[in-house]
Amino acid sequence: MTRFGISATWIIAGALWAAPAWGVTASKVNDKVIDVDSGAALWAKAQEEVVTLMAQPIALPRPAKTETAQIRVKAVHDGSWIAFLLRWKDSEKSEAGILGKFSDGAALQFPVGDGDPPPIFMGARGQPVHIFHWRAQYQRDAEKGKPEMTDLYPNMNPDMYPMEFKDPGSLKGKIGKAQQEVYSHGKAAGNPQSYLKSGVDEIFAEGFGSSSVIENADSKARGKWSKGEWSLVITRPLERSNGSVLKAGSPAWMAFAVWQGDRDEVGSRKSVTMSWLPLEVK
Amino acid sequence: MAKVKNWQINREMNYPYDEKRPKRQWAIVFDLNKCIACQTCTLACKTTWTSGKGQEYMFWNNVETKPYGAYPLAWDVRVLEKLGRQEWKSKEPYYGKTIFEGADPNERAVGFKPEDEDWMYPNNGEDDCAGTVTKGDHITLPHDKWFFYLPRTCAHCTYPACLAACPRKAIYKREEDGIVLIDQSRCKGYGECVKACPYKKSMYNPYTRISEKCVGCYPAVEQGYQPMCVQNCIGKIRIMGFINPPWKAREDNPLDYLVHKKGLALPYYPQLGLEPNIYYIPPIHADKSYLSQMFGPNVLGAIGQYQALQDDPVAQGLLLLMGSTDRIIHRFEVKNGMATGFDEADDEIVSVPVTEPLMERKPFDEKLGAVRQNTP
Repeated sequence: MTRFGISATWIIAGALWAAPAWGVTASKVNDKVIDVDSGAALWAKAQEEVVTLMAQPIALPRPAKTETAQIRVKAVHDGSWIAFLLRWKDSEKSEAGILGKFSDGAALQFPVGDGDPPPIFMGARGQPVHIFHWRAQYQRDAEKGKPEMTDLYPNMNPDMYPMEFKDPGSLKGKIGKAQQEVYSHGKAAGNPQSYLKSGVDEIFAEGFGSSSVIENADSKARGKWSKGEWSLVITRPLERSNGSVLKAGSPAWMAFAVWQGDRDEVGSRKSVTMSWLPLEVK
Repeated sequence: MAKVKNWQINREMNYPYDEKRPKRQWAIVFDLNKCIACQTCTLACKTTWTSGKGQEYMFWNNVETKPYGAYPLAWDVRVLEKLGRQEWKSKEPYYGKTIFEGADPNERAVGFKPEDEDWMYPNNGEDDCAGTVTKGDHITLPHDKWFFYLPRTCAHCTYPACLAACPRKAIYKREEDGIVLIDQSRCKGYGECVKACPYKKSMYNPYTRISEKCVGCYPAVEQGYQPMCVQNCIGKIRIMGFINPPWKAREDNPLDYLVHKKGLALPYYPQLGLEPNIYYIPPIHADKSYLSQMFGPNVLGAIGQYQALQDDPVAQGLLLLMGSTDRIIHRFEVKNGMATGFDEADDEIVSVPVTEPLMERKPFDEKLGAVRQNTP
């Protein structure tokens, strides 16, 4: 994207910002929303917002073009949990797994703390943002377990791995998971990426490249891909201690990002909202 | 983009971060005239570091046959093709584009993303020779039919492309020894380093879902020992030590002596602009134009130096110290027909004769009353 392209984008974003009807509205519903899915009847009455995304223009490496131009967003809450329904076109379902194949994904971003929201691009030092990052790959984990090598490569025939013996002999019962996982560097280092995912990561970030996963988060996500479209519901508690807090009647902000795995989108290669959207929790 | 000094191309170049050289820089010199592709280094590395799940086809150290072998497939020609034709005139700085300078505005470096299959044939092209051997052929010098073996580890570059490309800044270069590491607790497996490293020494592990690379055997290096691939090299073609930039070169440092003082060992593909820190003594009988492309225009000088070794007892002595100790040699000296290596505290760790003494034994052993057989 050219410099002109970036400034033009800012102008457009600025113009939309001033529009009064702009933003996501979450109405209160009587049903519990914690486990709601995209086919639930309660979505029928929810107000839909069409949100424009653009190729992430700041951090390198960045996408050459916008792969996801818009998403349709609805939101509902039940007083303690809030659910967001995101729908976007994606011609191919991608769950990643092997080298060079990336996962479809989407993320919600909220400011942490009151007052003016932090910089839109993942916050800044001292101005954190709270992110809910869903990946089709993480959802696959939640549904089928973390893939073993033989799931990723069904025809492979591994002889053996260290400390994993077909016949352990005298070592039977003496070798635990901990000893085996020393040989998986990511696991040994405690990297959340190397462990079973629940479907959605909660993340704090203070600027590009600073994100870190929050342990024991309880938000949920469930995506469904059908006929070239993802329908994804992410549910989170309205209030998260130390994180972002949403209250009925209080003005709030949010932002979105989408990755299309089959278009090599991963990390900083993504489509994003170029400014914060008002979020009204009714 | 910052302006940084790259001595290998003898000019300033663009790099995303400021120049910050480590206190000392890990480096290996390989004598390609002696490598027999036995892959002992490869297996020493594999059994030490990459025997786990998701590392089945992962070789942080590999040995490939040039010109046709490559792991992953065609890594070298694909990078060179993407960068496009560049010129480097002898005795001049390299004025062509580096991979950082030639990059698309959306990217950090010129690179390509190898496919999964590209990693699955580590022995591809093994022992394939350039040229067709026909009936009645005989050896000429330099060889008109040729190949040579190229052992490769991560080059722990002064200006790593992997580090430049990582949007999470999960890759760092250690101040104490210049070793480049992927933080295994922060990497998220975006594969940007795999794409950007022109030498393709960042590798993706689908089991841990993050990227990994050669760690320079830093736990050994911290204890004053050379990496496993160097310790286990049965051809004694390698020496690991610490190299200084040319303006701080010390003649009694083995790496500085081979690279800066003698010009015997050269970095590979220096034109890519990473200032890689693995150096090669070029194979003297291979095709010169190919060697120039790989090692730059100074390769003819290096070959000349190698051919003149018979008149240089100091260089001979140093080459004999290669593979003679597991320890890191910080200083060496050659005098009175002996080559000696010293550790960081300047204590002697190894001493070898420059010329092996000739022992003559009588065919009959009087003491044992037995005829001596000449079987090994």
